[in-house]
Amino acid sequence: MRQLLFELGGTRAVAEMHDDVVPKTCDAVWNVLPVEGMAIHANWSSREIMLHLHGEKILRLPPEGPARRGTTAPGDIVYFWRSPQMSRGKQLAYSSEFQRELSELAIFYGDPAGGGLAADDPARSGRDSNLQVATLFATFIDIPKEFAQKCEEIRHNGLQRLVVTRLERSR
Amino acid sequence: MTRVKITLGSAEAFAQLDEKDAPKATKWLKEMLPIERQAMHSMENGREVYVVLDAPHHVEEENQTIYQTVGDLIVYYKPAIFVKPEWPRHIRDILVIGFIYERDSAIRSLSAPLATNLVGKITEGIDALAREAPRMRREGFGKMSISVA
Repeated sequence: MRQLLFELGGTRAVAEMHDDVVPKTCDAVWNVLPVEGMAIHANWSSREIMLHLHGEKILRLPPEGPARRGTTAPGDIVYFWRSPQMSRGKQLAYSSEFQRELSELAIFYGDPAGGGLAADDPARSGRDSNLQVATLFATFIDIPKEFAQKCEEIRHNGLQRLVVTRLERSR
Repeated sequence: MTRVKITLGSAEAFAQLDEKDAPKATKWLKEMLPIERQAMHSMENGREVYVVLDAPHHVEEENQTIYQTVGDLIVYYKPAIFVKPEWPRHIRDILVIGFIYERDSAIRSLSAPLATNLVGKITEGIDALAREAPRMRREGFGKMSISVA
């Protein structure tokens, strides 16, 4: 399994990709690494931070893997794409590039993770509409407490730089 | 009708309390005012900003709705895990007062819509709140205060 390193505010967390389940999504994400940017906290999906993919790193991927309905768990890392018309209000917290269409890595760091909240909301459940793609492509091996705390701090203190790189161990 | 002033960071707005349809909740709220607390952004409801209240007695259900809209001033018991990273011991929900500042919002429990007491409507300054709340999401949250205008 390929591994990813997440660095946030001096803390680190390692995730394993689900190459065996969603190989195309894993390849696509792997090929745009490293990615970095200012992570923002979710306002819908509970304990989740988002890293928007911008410029040449934007990914527009089709759905892959088993349908997911209401089962997002702490530690899950999801490739997420949202169609431009999905959100009706202004997205002033995001830079102008992401106020309509959105392509991001969604990082679920704690309870209650977001999928459960979306389970009764068809527009947010992914496969039932063309409004979004949400593919679980990696999971943290464990979530260090300091890393989760940094994620929570984004909610209260504002954006923090997040860097995601390939973790390539010497053999 | 009682008019209240809401400030969030540098933004200022005014709301009319709905004393006709929510007489008990608005009476209770007026006795609580003025309040100033650390503002928080919801992470489960869309565009909602709220503060945690300390109230020793239970606030009754009154003038409730699950169809919150922009400008609603609402009081309800929020599942504690949406406020704190872990369930606090012996506490499963926390009393909050908040407002909706933008579309794409709906107050939720852990798995379904959550009914909230509608205690007032913001009549002036919603645009200022709708700019200040996203700014705070990016730069960090400050205080929110509510007082009789």
